[in-house]
Amino acid sequence: MNSRRASYTLGFGVALLALLAGSVLAASWLSPDDPLAMNVGARLQQPSMEHWLGTDRFGRDILTRTLHGGQTTLISCGLALLSAVLIGLLLGALAGMFHGSLFDIALMRIIDVLLAFPFMVFAMVIAALFGTSLFHLLLAVVVVWWVGFARLTRSLVLQAKNSTTVDAARVLGTSKSVILFRELLPQAFGPVLVLATFELGNLILAIAALSFLGLGSQPPSPEWGSMLADGRAHFMTSPHVLLGPALWIILTVLAFNCIGEGLRDRIDPYEKARIG
Amino acid sequence: MKIAEDLKEKLRIERLEVAYRQEGAVQTALKSVDFTLHQGEILSLLGESGSGKSTIAKALLGLLSPSAIVRSGILSLSGQTPIDLSQPSKNWNGIRGREIAMLFQDARLALNPMMKIRDHFRETLLAHRLASKEQIRSISEQGLARLGFSDPSTVLNAYPHELSGGMCQRVCLALTLCLRPQVLIADEPTSALDTVNQREVLDLLQSLQRELGLSVLLITHDIALAEALSHRVLVLNEGHIVESGPTSQVLREPSHDYTRQLLSSRDLTSDAEASSSPDAASLLEIQELVKAYGSDRPTLSGVSMQLHAGEIIGILGQSGCGKSTLARCVVGLEQAESGSIRFQGQDITYAKGTARRRLARQIQLVFQDARASLNPRFSALELVQTPLHTFRVGDRKERLERARYLLEEVGITGAAQHRRPPQLSTGQCQRVAIARALALQPEVLICDEAVSALDMSVQAQILELLQRLHRQFGFSILMISHDVRVLRAFCHRIAVMHEGRFVEFLQGNRLSSGEHAHTRLLLHGAEELESL
Amino acid sequence: MGRRLLITVLQMLITVFVASLVLFALIRLAPGDPAKLLIGRTMEIAWDAAAYETTLNELREEMGLNGSVFSQYVSWIGSLLQLDLGTSFYTDRSVAAEIGERLPSTLLLAGTALIIQTVIGLLVGILSAVHSGTWFDTVVRLLCVGLASVPGFVIGLVLLLVLAVQMGVYEISSQAALSRLWLPALTMGLLGAPQVVRVVRANLLSELGQVYIQSALSRGLGSTRAVGHAMRNVLLPTITLMGLSFTSYISGAVVIESVFAWPGLGEYALNGILHKDYPALQGYALVMVLSVVVIHLMVEALYVWLDPRMMRRKKEAAHE
Repeated sequence: MNSRRASYTLGFGVALLALLAGSVLAASWLSPDDPLAMNVGARLQQPSMEHWLGTDRFGRDILTRTLHGGQTTLISCGLALLSAVLIGLLLGALAGMFHGSLFDIALMRIIDVLLAFPFMVFAMVIAALFGTSLFHLLLAVVVVWWVGFARLTRSLVLQAKNSTTVDAARVLGTSKSVILFRELLPQAFGPVLVLATFELGNLILAIAALSFLGLGSQPPSPEWGSMLADGRAHFMTSPHVLLGPALWIILTVLAFNCIGEGLRDRIDPYEKARIG
Repeated sequence: MKIAEDLKEKLRIERLEVAYRQEGAVQTALKSVDFTLHQGEILSLLGESGSGKSTIAKALLGLLSPSAIVRSGILSLSGQTPIDLSQPSKNWNGIRGREIAMLFQDARLALNPMMKIRDHFRETLLAHRLASKEQIRSISEQGLARLGFSDPSTVLNAYPHELSGGMCQRVCLALTLCLRPQVLIADEPTSALDTVNQREVLDLLQSLQRELGLSVLLITHDIALAEALSHRVLVLNEGHIVESGPTSQVLREPSHDYTRQLLSSRDLTSDAEASSSPDAASLLEIQELVKAYGSDRPTLSGVSMQLHAGEIIGILGQSGCGKSTLARCVVGLEQAESGSIRFQGQDITYAKGTARRRLARQIQLVFQDARASLNPRFSALELVQTPLHTFRVGDRKERLERARYLLEEVGITGAAQHRRPPQLSTGQCQRVAIARALALQPEVLICDEAVSALDMSVQAQILELLQRLHRQFGFSILMISHDVRVLRAFCHRIAVMHEGRFVEFLQGNRLSSGEHAHTRLLLHGAEELESL
Repeated sequence: MGRRLLITVLQMLITVFVASLVLFALIRLAPGDPAKLLIGRTMEIAWDAAAYETTLNELREEMGLNGSVFSQYVSWIGSLLQLDLGTSFYTDRSVAAEIGERLPSTLLLAGTALIIQTVIGLLVGILSAVHSGTWFDTVVRLLCVGLASVPGFVIGLVLLLVLAVQMGVYEISSQAALSRLWLPALTMGLLGAPQVVRVVRANLLSELGQVYIQSALSRGLGSTRAVGHAMRNVLLPTITLMGLSFTSYISGAVVIESVFAWPGLGEYALNGILHKDYPALQGYALVMVLSVVVIHLMVEALYVWLDPRMMRRKKEAAHE
């Protein structure tokens, strides 16, 4: 993909994200109804002029719930991923800097163990033990997802350490910490950012799946995942109940994927042989 | 001086114009190139990097990348209908290999790393139905024997990485020749090889060409090579052919400015001081340095030498002889396992941490890959100020002044000083690297193949620059190179290195009188190319 | 080669050991007394206090909750090594037996999905690389990005709605019949395909740009053969990806199994959560961890086998 197409993709992704984020953040203005207000008389109505995305089984307006719920989803997923990224960056960079040290070896072993736990399984265990809630899920996320970022950062730092730029910096008498921040970390930012973008999309999908199974946020919270769990029972007869949250989820993840693709093609070098 | 024996036309290319799509913009690489290759002749295409020579080679075989646009071009092979290169053609397989064949620059990369040599032959011969399965073996062995292999069956059983660069190139030559092509395009066939292997391959190329009456298009940046081998020369600059004619004429009496410029860069002016004896004070003393990396064949096996103040010493050796390792041990990028390095009397062999960093003010290194040694996010000015900032030399204003001054001295002026490495040419990058290395006024400057990756004309400029700076600032230089030509004109003394130790020390201007076998080998390779 | 394999196996064993420790710790950390949870709230109210206490203690004894944490762990490991995963709280049957009943269904589903994913991924990936820059390539890339943005269950639900409810082509039941395998497997396979396409395409493109391919072409060997050569180098990353996909299928099958009512391990685990059936969950988690570890081991073994013939050669070639 050449640079021009990458820019289009990136631009499209950013624009889409801005639109979605805007709609969600401005939920109260765009859709002033109370997301929790039930109206049993108007249950399961098809999309209409009054209810743009129809109503759910309690007669609540789906559009309102989607927009309001988006706030919860986006903000909490964003925070969780940010934490995972920061933890991973820090630990990975340190491990790379002090390659071969006890810290490095210990970290790699911990990563090995964590990798043996598929996230779904881990989330399910947590949900069973500590109760089903979005918060518990996100904790599980932070505990497990930093690993990918740590591994990536570590290998990038290791690679950068052997580069001529770092050699030159060493010969010029630059201190280790300056090398870390001027040479090593900046090289890690690009690929980590690309990975973070894709992972944010994956996170939203994973949370949606877990909530759909009933393990995430619980009703009556208007969060996207719980709306999916809620509407599931009526899907076959009134398919529109899932339209709102599903659509917003798809578009949001699409936006992130486009941003990721666009960014990746600008930071190309590391893409080629990595398995992703 | 060689005269073409037969003037019959073998290949003609007319009005070749190629452009590349890059980052949304379209850049023309070749602007209306016309030339003719005659039967049995060796035609050199002389050009520096960026001139478009590789594009011509690829265009003749239809191997241009998808981002290339051929605006026009007619390829006429003797006895065939002309091909319009601007139209997509499906017929390349009839031409590739049989009519036109190609030798690539890095032969090792040109062979499939997962296939044995005999499988390369088998595949090629069977694809063109040139032999039955039983005949393959004997044909391959004959082909290899013709290229000087005394034990073809061993080579046939080997994988490419088990062979040296020179051997791989000979294998590639054997592969292409077994198809009996009419035209051979040799794209920088020996630039990836060291002098000894270069010699071998070129000799073979020459004799086989004569024997088989091949028409060869030799693409190179090496003037000496073109002069030694070819009947006619084409000089390519920025996509045009600026001059063409019989070799001797073009290279002795060039009529175009660019050709003249190219030729003058060949002769590196020998510094008047080269023969004068330097200051006696010993600056750097290396004793019995050993670095083995745990194997039985140590990279450095007991290296000793002395560098005096104000002196320029060259280390001459083939790739892999350990010269870079030596440099890296001196600046602390590697640690020797035994032996000592003393600077101004102090033992710095195992210096670490603060002590090592302090040495940065006295010993500096310029790398082979200039671009890679500069952080692309900073401007030239910022890069030169970095070491000054690290050691808190002067205040901010003074550092800026000094950086400006240094950059001016190396020839980077005005707006260029604010540019970043991606916007600078390779030659400019090396200048910036040199300015940065000199910022702290070191006593010793080590140049690790600092000019090897540069075009010849730029090489000459950088060497001149170093000479001038040496005169001006008085630092000592340790110049590492595999190129005899570079060292001969430049150094007071030259140390010849082979397999991890120094085999001979010579005065710079008396290099030709070297006696050690290895020295002679290196000299021989270089001289033959320069002889008439 | 044998030595490296041995080391890897050892590492894997340690990983499983530590993972079991973590699992054990988690379960002990959970709020609530497992024995109490077993009896259940309703029971607590129905029985009188004394009988309740006795039963509770009996249960505790049976579950081994009265000893020290260490002895609990040891006895747990002991039973694990005997392949005894405990007894389900809910059905009172051996967890190992129950898992054993359902594992094949999940493996069948995951395996079929893997095949579908790999076939689609390879085909589309190769075509996309060979025709890179054309409209086909663009469409493929768009589809990949799009498909990767949709949650699996949404695709599953929509397919179910259209094919089962509206078109009646697919049967809705909760049996693990082969006739019902194709739709869930197809759904999962489609979800995993974009990643394979991406990896195959990127690696193949990079290989096709290598000099040895150009050199082969220059000898008139034809592009089909050239692609064949290039593919050899793409196999290894593809195999690694397949290994990773398989593990994510086995664990992620939960969602698809739920949508299509496919009676596999996922359904079992969900029920376990619903009924707070700790032994069942524990058994499930352990089996998952073990599967992941075993699959990684197999991929590693494949590497070690293919490695000397492939990667080492490339590495050596690159170093000299």
